[in-house]
Amino acid sequence: MKGPIYVLFAISTALVCLTSRADSPKALQWHGFVAQGLIDAQNSNFVDDHGDISLKLTEIGINGSYRLGSRFRVAGQAVYLNGGNRYPEGIRADYLFFDWKAVASLDWQVNVHAGRVKNYHWMYSATRDVPHTRPTIILPQSIYFDSFRDVALGVDGLAVVANTSNSWGDWEYYWSYGSSPISREQTSNLVGQRFTGDFKQKFVQQFNTVWQRSNVRLGIGILDSDFEYTQGADDSFVDGDVSIKRLLIQASYAASNWQIAGELFRERTAYTDILFPNFFDDATAEGGYIQGRYLYSSDLTFTARLSLYDQNRKDRDGRIREAATMGAIPAYFGFQDTFTLGLSWDPAPNWRTQLEFHRVKGTGRLAPVLIPNVEVNDQKYWNIWAAQLMYWF
Amino acid sequence: MISRLARVTLLLLTLFVLPPTYADESSVYVVAHTNTNIIKLSSAQLRKIVSMRQTVWPNGQPIVVYTLDSNNPVHQTLCIDLLNMFPYQVERLWEKLAYSGLGEKPINVESEKKMLEFIAKTPGAIGYVSDISKLTSLHKIIVVED
Repeated sequence: MKGPIYVLFAISTALVCLTSRADSPKALQWHGFVAQGLIDAQNSNFVDDHGDISLKLTEIGINGSYRLGSRFRVAGQAVYLNGGNRYPEGIRADYLFFDWKAVASLDWQVNVHAGRVKNYHWMYSATRDVPHTRPTIILPQSIYFDSFRDVALGVDGLAVVANTSNSWGDWEYYWSYGSSPISREQTSNLVGQRFTGDFKQKFVQQFNTVWQRSNVRLGIGILDSDFEYTQGADDSFVDGDVSIKRLLIQASYAASNWQIAGELFRERTAYTDILFPNFFDDATAEGGYIQGRYLYSSDLTFTARLSLYDQNRKDRDGRIREAATMGAIPAYFGFQDTFTLGLSWDPAPNWRTQLEFHRVKGTGRLAPVLIPNVEVNDQKYWNIWAAQLMYWF
Repeated sequence: MISRLARVTLLLLTLFVLPPTYADESSVYVVAHTNTNIIKLSSAQLRKIVSMRQTVWPNGQPIVVYTLDSNNPVHQTLCIDLLNMFPYQVERLWEKLAYSGLGEKPINVESEKKMLEFIAKTPGAIGYVSDISKLTSLHKIIVVED
């Protein structure tokens, strides 16, 4: 418990430093956030194994950006998270990278980032860990699968961010290459508790481009990643590989007081060995969401969203896997569809309260992935509600 | 006579009833420090500067962006008329930059008076005002083209 206290101390110190108004450009910039909530995910292990009301909805973070001349910069962010089973509890460095402004003309900007860089490729991936930048407390699990949050948040490697404009509109390009360290908790989200080996990401490469003209924004991206599992002593699992390839498209339209946005993906995942020698599973998942937001006033926003996820496009209702496992894995583990209603209210500058309800059909996005927890997740229909108070500076 | 009356009526309507387009477009002026080696920007170029994706002038000098509060009418006019964005979109872009490490937020000032003060004493600075009567030799107006 000392970790969060250190982070809070750091934030308090930064707040004291920020009490004077920053009217002139400074080489060092600090920002941060603190958020605490209540969450209940009945009849599931989404937050904890009992489905009780929980305080495990804590997010604290602090970030800094330091300019080194006009073309170089260092940026980093540390966070403390407690989300129950959603992701491992504790402190981590979300990003820490060196930023080189390689091209800086009025028509082209190209930046190269080296270090632990963020995932800039999906609509909310760059700030999925920052409460007040999310449309809802829980992002659509079809794409923003919490159990793989740390793996999907960024990479230790390189990223190139470029943007330009022409008569067709504004264009953004993002490329990244590297790998993410995988903790034991993250490994257990894939294979469950009975493992002694090591799971590591060999590489992940992503590229996407976004076009924007006026209020319309369209994007397309690809992801390619390989993982390997190395058997440990007295391990239930064996050496093996996982390969993932994803195609993602995104679109949004903004009006003066409403906004519609959506992302769709197709993802092919192939498991080789791991469970036992000569095990092979190759499935293509599909999913995405469509989300509408109504900005009733500058302080109050309503959100409605439908998120759909099918683990295998050739077995959308999960019945083939249910039959193949002799009923051990119920069909409803083959999908997870969620309808969400939420509201966001800003009672004061830099303060926000979010409240939301999710009606969920299916358990396809609950960890562990390879060997599902059928004892706790024994309901096809289940609900989540959550409320969170957040402050940022 | 009727024809002349009609023309005068039309002229009066144009002057006093219909909002003059020029006055509307001029309700916000982009102002920079006088040493800035730029006299005009396209709407897309200004959008990248205000949204903090372009942070260096072509001569290598850092750009310092000053902004008014998001609910300030002058800021809203800038966003809608010159940036072709809604103020909440600009705000979200700044938040994304500042909290993902991609960039920094601009410097927020409380009034147009302060805006002109800080631009005058900051080489490379850019901002916007609705009243240009207080401009000094340390300021210059940047023409924004579509």
